Amino acid sequence: MKFLVRLATKNLWRYGRRTLITAAAIALGLATYVLLDSMLVGADEESVRNLIWYETGSARVMHPDYWAERERAPLRHVIEDPDSVLDALRSQDVAATPRTTFSGELIVWRDPFPEDGSLLVHVTAIDPETDGRVYRFDQWITEGRPLQAGEPGVVLGSWLAEDLGAEVGYPLIISARSRYGARVTIDAEVVGILNSPNPVINRGGIFLPLDIADLYLDMEGAVTQIDLRFADYARVEGPIAELKQLPALRDLEIADWRLLGADYIAMMEADSVGSGIILFLVFVIAAVGVSNTMLMTIFERTREIGMMRALGMDDRAIRNLFLIEAAGIGLIGAAAGILLGALGNIPMVRVGIDYSAMFRTMDAGYRSTGVLYGAWVPSTFVIAALMGVALAVIVALVPTRRALRMDIPRALSRQ
Amino acid sequence: MKALSIILLALIPATTLMAQSAEEIITRMERNQVHDTSRMEGRLIINDRFGSRTSSFISYARGADDALIEFTSAGERGQKVLRTRDEVYLFYPDAAELIRLQGAALRDSMLGSDVSYEDMTGNRALLDNYRVSLDGEETINDHPTFRVKLEARGRNVAYPRQTIWVDRELFVMRRAEQFSANGRLLKEVEVKETMEVSGLTFPSRMVIRDVLKRNSSTEFVIDKAEVNISLPRNVFSLESLRW
Repeated sequence: MKFLVRLATKNLWRYGRRTLITAAAIALGLATYVLLDSMLVGADEESVRNLIWYETGSARVMHPDYWAERERAPLRHVIEDPDSVLDALRSQDVAATPRTTFSGELIVWRDPFPEDGSLLVHVTAIDPETDGRVYRFDQWITEGRPLQAGEPGVVLGSWLAEDLGAEVGYPLIISARSRYGARVTIDAEVVGILNSPNPVINRGGIFLPLDIADLYLDMEGAVTQIDLRFADYARVEGPIAELKQLPALRDLEIADWRLLGADYIAMMEADSVGSGIILFLVFVIAAVGVSNTMLMTIFERTREIGMMRALGMDDRAIRNLFLIEAAGIGLIGAAAGILLGALGNIPMVRVGIDYSAMFRTMDAGYRSTGVLYGAWVPSTFVIAALMGVALAVIVALVPTRRALRMDIPRALSRQ
Repeated sequence: MKALSIILLALIPATTLMAQSAEEIITRMERNQVHDTSRMEGRLIINDRFGSRTSSFISYARGADDALIEFTSAGERGQKVLRTRDEVYLFYPDAAELIRLQGAALRDSMLGSDVSYEDMTGNRALLDNYRVSLDGEETINDHPTFRVKLEARGRNVAYPRQTIWVDRELFVMRRAEQFSANGRLLKEVEVKETMEVSGLTFPSRMVIRDVLKRNSSTEFVIDKAEVNISLPRNVFSLESLRW
């Protein structure tokens, strides 16, 4: 075996150019695989983070009947006594903030807006004092200022503001129904514009102080939800199971971010199938390239195989020699591919790729507003290395066996 | 002190009389306008920044709660809207689909008009929902009217405040204004023409404006009306939408 390894190494060196070309094909395929996987994993990680930090929190406490009707943002299924729930959560050191989401119509008038218009919207009423414990909006207010309790002010998502032609100081009207069904109108002023990393918020976010919503919507202290953030924001099963034991939360439902962001999760799952197909295609392209080069390599050496057999080397040793050579090429290719992938991944992780022009006009489902960053995924590097070696060995098997089936004179006469 | 007591005693019956007369005005108006049964043919003329368009319809109604509107104009032919006491259903013939409107969907305007689907719900008799008071008299489009203020009895009434101008002679509405809970004017209704059928007078041409949406108005015209007639069985049922 030692002899075979030494001979295979010599052969690899002897056929240097061929070794280099074949290894380059493998390296290119694996580097593409590594970079593509890095980008897809990075996009998913960032989307999950932005979903939790700006849209859903780690989990949400709500009335058990609310979820089934969430699309209509009903005000009849509410948490009647949010203070007792908040006290219970505080006792468990869970960051929490009350919110009320309601549906309504946003009405703007020409002068100062460019056009008269109205838009059916979901408005989120937040407690300016506590919302920052769960969400991270304040740092993304790019114009104006954050909301203040007691003022009929509105913070708009930046893309929505752009579409409406809204600027800080512009007046608008929110027309809605009170908790009991009466028509109410809230005259408010745009106090801030929010340009967060979450496109859903930028595209449709309308935020109002909770006490103003409470007053106008006749909520009498009730809220539609209490949003939570756990220490490890994405790991929720354990903390939720503990919170469910609290008496104050016994009659309420706790939904985690996976359920709250079900549309994104569904998209991500569908996307992972698509990503799998893309990665498979990359693999197939690499495999075709490698197998073609390996076929050429072995067919060109049919005479050599015949010579070795004529000199008494048994078929098994010849096959092993060629497989060791293939594994060597695979190893060189995998090492180069991983190195190339790692070098390419550094700017992907640090600088990212700017898709902002695309995401502004198209809802791809990702919770990212533009720059998608790569991620370091060690398992991908291991898989790529194993795949490179295995691929080279597998594609070398067939032509080697075929060459070995030829009789010696025919093999020797082959040019 | 004695004099003051006499004035107060004298005022109490007068106030009661005013309230009673406001209720009487509304009762007489509703007797004219809300029919046991009716069948009407008419048009919706919708004016907005895109121009003017007309949709014709046939409507059936029973009391204040049940109504069925079937559109007959080419663009909307076969579309139906059924209103029962608390719900609104839509039927689109092309899709053969029945939709129950809920939540935000109720705020959609009907065919892009100034009338939303939620305006069609909860039309119980006004006196069931509102306390009424006579607020004075005023001439509207050359018609002397009573100005009646309506304040919702409960918190579940869509328009917590309304003002209705009722014709002093014909007891038909001449104008109405509907307000939000915090007093913002939301809708204006102006009656341009009335019609008399079987001794009952009711608006036959009125203009409705959603004040929050500027530059638009909807004219509601009744061309033909029959009242207190027998209607097909189950006309206000879900099955009727799929005729």
